[in-house]
Amino acid sequence: MQWQTIYKKEMLDHWRHFKWIWVPIVFILFAVMDPLTAYFMPIILESAGNVPEGATIDIPNPSVGEAMIMSFSQLNMLGVLIAVVISMGLISRELSTGVYELILSKPVRYSHYITAKFTAMMTLLSVSIIIALITGWYYVTVLFGDLAFTQLLTSAIFYIFYFMLILSIVMVFNSFLTSPGLVAFLSIFTVVVLNAITSIFDHVITWSPMLISDYIGTYFFSGEIETDLYFSTGIAIIISLLLLWLSIFLLKRQEMH
Amino acid sequence: MSIMSANHLTKIFQNHTVVDDLSFTLETGKCVALLGPNGAGKTTTLRMLAGFIKPSQGNIQFDEEQFTKDIRHYVGYLPQYPVFHNWMTGEEFLIYVGQLAYLSKNDAKTKAQELLDLVRLGDDKQKRIGKYSGGMKQRLGIAQALMHDPQLIILDEPVSSLDPIGRREVLNLIRELKKDATILFSTHILNDAEEVSDDILLLNHGKLLKQGAIHEIHSQQETKTIYLAFQDEPKFIEERLKEINSVFNIKRENAGFAITVHDVNEARSQLLEVIQSEGWNLTKFEVLTSSLEDIFIKAVTE
Repeated sequence: MQWQTIYKKEMLDHWRHFKWIWVPIVFILFAVMDPLTAYFMPIILESAGNVPEGATIDIPNPSVGEAMIMSFSQLNMLGVLIAVVISMGLISRELSTGVYELILSKPVRYSHYITAKFTAMMTLLSVSIIIALITGWYYVTVLFGDLAFTQLLTSAIFYIFYFMLILSIVMVFNSFLTSPGLVAFLSIFTVVVLNAITSIFDHVITWSPMLISDYIGTYFFSGEIETDLYFSTGIAIIISLLLLWLSIFLLKRQEMH
Repeated sequence: MSIMSANHLTKIFQNHTVVDDLSFTLETGKCVALLGPNGAGKTTTLRMLAGFIKPSQGNIQFDEEQFTKDIRHYVGYLPQYPVFHNWMTGEEFLIYVGQLAYLSKNDAKTKAQELLDLVRLGDDKQKRIGKYSGGMKQRLGIAQALMHDPQLIILDEPVSSLDPIGRREVLNLIRELKKDATILFSTHILNDAEEVSDDILLLNHGKLLKQGAIHEIHSQQETKTIYLAFQDEPKFIEERLKEINSVFNIKRENAGFAITVHDVNEARSQLLEVIQSEGWNLTKFEVLTSSLEDIFIKAVTE
C-alpha cells in the first residue's frame, strides 16, 4: 500500500517530466542508427562524389545477426549513459534539496522508498529498451533478412537484467551522496572499471554480467542460449539485489546536517 | 503525564558540541516553545526528537504504552525550510504524504481538503507547488505535518518566514491545535512564545538555561520593575529616589522612570511614602512584570 503510493508517485514524476516520451525515442534512435548507416553506407559513399573514377566500393553487407548486434552495442554505451543520467538524482536530489526530510518524517519504510523508486525507474527503462529493440529488429528484418521475433524478445529480457545491475549501482551511490553529478560520475566510473576487469580476465570470469550483451550476440548466430548467458544474468540479479540491500542500509545510516 | 522525555541529550558534529547535555520532559497537551538565539542548537534538538539524527550521547524516550509503533506514526514534523516536489500540486502532495502515513486514498483526500481550507490554500490546491509563494509553502508545510493527526507536533520556526498576517494566522492555528495535541515549536521571536505556549525551554550554545511554565519563570525573577511618571518632573528626583533602600536601579524611560526593585511590596509603600511627602504630581504608577524578552536577554548574555 505504501509501496504502491511511492511507485505511483514516481511514475507520475516520470510522466510529468516527459521521460515517458523522450527516453523511448532516444533509445529507438540508438537501436536504429547503426543498422541503418551500415545498410546505406555504400549509397552514402557513392553520393559523396569524391571517389576516384573506376574505384569499386566493396563493403560486405552485414548479416542479420551482425546488424542486430549493432542495435545492442549502441544501447550498451549510450543507453547506459542515459540510464545513469536520468537516475542520478533519484534520491540524491531529494537528499540535497530537503524533500527527503518531509517524506521521511512520515512512517516511510526505507526499503519501500528505495525499491519503489528502483522499480518505477526499471519500468521506464524496460519499456524503453523493449520498444527500442523491437524497432531495431523491424528495420533489421526489413533490410537484412529474417530473425525470429521470439529470439529478439528473449534476448531483450536478458538484456533488461544488465540494466537492472547498472541501475542498482546508481542506487548505491544515490543513497549516500547528495550531488547527482558525482553519483553519475562514480556510477559510470564503476561500469568502466567492471568492463575493464571483465575484458582483462575474460577467460576466467566468463560469468561477468558485463558479458551479457556479448552472449546475446552469440545467441543471434547460434540460435541457442549458452549456459554462460544464464550464469551471467543470474549473477547480475544476485548482485543487483545485494546492492539494493546495501542502498537501504546506507540510506538508513544517512544523517542530514 | 509525560509524552516524551529527553535525557542528557548531546550532539557533537566534528568536535563541535551543538547540543550539550539537554534534559527535559514534554507534558501531554502542553504547548512548549523552544527559545534561543540563532545557532543555539534548536533545530538540531528538534531533528533529534523527530528521529532524523541520532544523539551522540543520551537518549529520547517516548511513552511506550501510548506509542507502540514506529514513532513517526505519532509525530508531525515541519522543518525550518520545507521543500516539496515542486511538480506536484498542493493537494497531490498532501494526499501523497497522507498515504505514506497509511491513510486510505479517500481518507487522505478528505483530510487534505480539510487542512487546505484550514491553512487557506483551498483556492490554490490545483496549482503546482513550484508556483507557491514562501508563505504558502510554509502553510502547506504545516498542513502536511498534520495529515496523520499526530499526537506530538514538532514545528521548527513555524512563523519566522511569514508576514505579520501569516504569523497571526499560524499562531491562531497553534492555539487551535493545542486542544488535541502536544506541540513543541522553536522560535526566536519571544512574543510568539509568550502568546501561545504554556512552557518554555531556553537554549543557548546548546545548553538549557531555563525551563518551566511561563508564569513560573516570571515569578522566579529576582528583580521587578516599577514605572513612574510625573506631570512635571520634580527636581532632584533621581537623587531622592536612590536614597530609598529597596531601589536597585533607576533608568529614564520615555517620560518617566523605570525603577528596578528587589521587593515590590516594600518598594511600593516606600515609594508612595516619598511621593506623598514630597508632594510630587504622580500621573502613572505601574508594576511591570518583566517581559520574556528581558529574561531571555538576561539569561543569554549572562
